Amino acid sequence: MRKAQMEILGLAIVVVLILVATIFVVRFMVIKSPTEYRKGFISAELASNMLSTFLKTASKDCSYLTMTELLQDCAQTRSIICDNGLDSCKYAESTASKIFDGTFDKWNMKYEFLAYTDASQPLIKIGKACTAEKRSKLFPIPINIATMYAKLDICG
Amino acid sequence: MKKAQIQMGETIAVLFVFFILVTVGFIFYVKVIKGNIELESEELSQLKSVAIAQRAMFLPELQCSEDNIAIDNCIDILKLDSAQALMRENEVYYYDLLEFSDISISQIYPSEAKWNVYSRKTDEFKSKFVTNAPISLYDPITRKHGFGVLTIETFLK
Repeated sequence: MRKAQMEILGLAIVVVLILVATIFVVRFMVIKSPTEYRKGFISAELASNMLSTFLKTASKDCSYLTMTELLQDCAQTRSIICDNGLDSCKYAESTASKIFDGTFDKWNMKYEFLAYTDASQPLIKIGKACTAEKRSKLFPIPINIATMYAKLDICG
Repeated sequence: MKKAQIQMGETIAVLFVFFILVTVGFIFYVKVIKGNIELESEELSQLKSVAIAQRAMFLPELQCSEDNIAIDNCIDILKLDSAQALMRENEVYYYDLLEFSDISISQIYPSEAKWNVYSRKTDEFKSKFVTNAPISLYDPITRKHGFGVLTIETFLK
């Protein structure tokens, strides 16, 4: 083998080494990111717990009716008038707002809460629709004429 | 300078560059390994904090029950006072379960109230996680549910 050929071989080895090093760098520095176990757990639990807890909550000024009962009346006859003068829809909405103020707003979380029989005309709407990733929980509530739904989306 | 001396100089220069490359590679490798260890430690801390949060959420000392059936995601407010005293008396037992953490319950609706259930904090922590879980607060006297938040702060070394 001539000297020139040896030098070219040396250069080729250097190039191969640089390539291997680059692949190594990309493999370890760029691709790997920490797995967010906690975030997954929290977002999975939060939407479900929040909605189920809210629906079980007894009202303060509405003969201790639960939010589920108030939402059922809201979707049907709207015959319940609470002690503070609000009807079932307004009362459930104000209670939900109060609870979300003390939770999601305090934790700087974006959310949207909807109660509806027809999704295009919600009876109650609190918060803003998520524009990107979201965790969603839907609770069906039985009523006489059909089924109504309480839906909570947590953004991010 | 003779030809042999020049070639020796070349060989030394090549070896010098080679060892510099090896050293740089080794430093990089150590950095990557250190990064991976930190990453795994972060993941382990997260899992530990989730485990402590789950233990706190399902403590039988606090959980509601009906006909001996535990109700998920619900805390009996009559049990709270006894649980606080019990946890203070059996500190070692609860430290094994909840380690360095601070567990409190805040009622948001119908009225505002706060209970501190367990508190064992440390200043020498490497990571701190705060988990908030909405929870139903059941009053067995009126048989009504309120709305509360269970806050679990975990301090991990």
